[in-house]
Amino acid sequence: MGSRGANVLLTRASRIKSKLQTVLEARILEVEDVSYQHAGHAAVKDSANETHFNVKVVSGKFDGQSLVKRHRMVYDALADELESGLHALSIVAKTPKEAGFS
Amino acid sequence: MARALSSMLLKGFRSMEYSRTTASASGSFLQQRMRFSSSVPNDSDTHDDFKPTNKLENSEITLKDIVEQDIKDNHVMLYMKGDPEQPRCGFSSLAVRVLSEYRVPIHSRNILEDPELKNAVKAFSMWPTFPQVFINGEFIGGSDIILNMHQNGELKEKLKTSSSE
Repeated sequence: MGSRGANVLLTRASRIKSKLQTVLEARILEVEDVSYQHAGHAAVKDSANETHFNVKVVSGKFDGQSLVKRHRMVYDALADELESGLHALSIVAKTPKEAGFS
Repeated sequence: MARALSSMLLKGFRSMEYSRTTASASGSFLQQRMRFSSSVPNDSDTHDDFKPTNKLENSEITLKDIVEQDIKDNHVMLYMKGDPEQPRCGFSSLAVRVLSEYRVPIHSRNILEDPELKNAVKAFSMWPTFPQVFINGEFIGGSDIILNMHQNGELKEKLKTSSSE
C-alpha cells in the first residue's frame, strides 16, 4: 500500500513509462497523454483526465511476436492502470530491427 | 436479466448494409431461452426436492455463449462503441472505416449499451479495450492492429478465407 501511495503522486504517463520500461526493457519508449483529444466522447465520464495515451515501444522482447501478442504484453504490464481509469492506448510496438536498429 | 438479455439480443445486433442477413442466430437463441422459462410458483411448504429448480439458471445462455455464437456465425464480428452508422469513439470509427474498404458484411454490437456484455467480451478475448475485431472466429485485435494489417495486406488475406454466410 505504501508504494501505491507514492505512485499516486506521479502522473499516469510516468507510471506507464516506468512499468513498460521495467517489463519490456525498451530501447525506445515514448508515452504521450492525448486524453484532451478524446474529451467529451462516450464513456469518458468526467473531464478527459489521463484516459488516453499514445505509446511507442521498441523492444527486443517483441522479436517473433505477433502484433496481438505485443499489444497483450503492453496491456498486461499496464493492468493496474487499465483498472483505474486508463481508457485506451494507441500502441506502436516494434522490434529493434523493425525500428531500424542493427 | 432475461428480459434485458433478450431485448439486447433483438436490438443490439446490427449488420452492415451490404449484408441482408437477419440476426437469425440470435432469434433462435432467444426462442431456446424462453422455452425453459419456469412459471411454477416456488411454494415454501414444498419440499426442496419438489421445488422447481430455476431452469433459467441451469439452461441459461450466458453472455459468453452469445459472444461465441456471434463470432462463429459471422465472418466479421466487431464489438465497438456505438454502431457503424454512428460510432461513439475514434478508434471504433477507424475500425469500421478500415473494414468497410473490403465490402464484406460486418456484424457488430454496441458494447456501450450493455456493461455486462462489455465485460464478457473483455474476458473472452482477454483484451481490455474496444473496438475488438474477430474474423472467422479468431480475435484479430483492436483498431491499431486492423489498420496495420490493412496497410500491409494481411487483412485482405485474412478476409479471403470466408466462412459460409
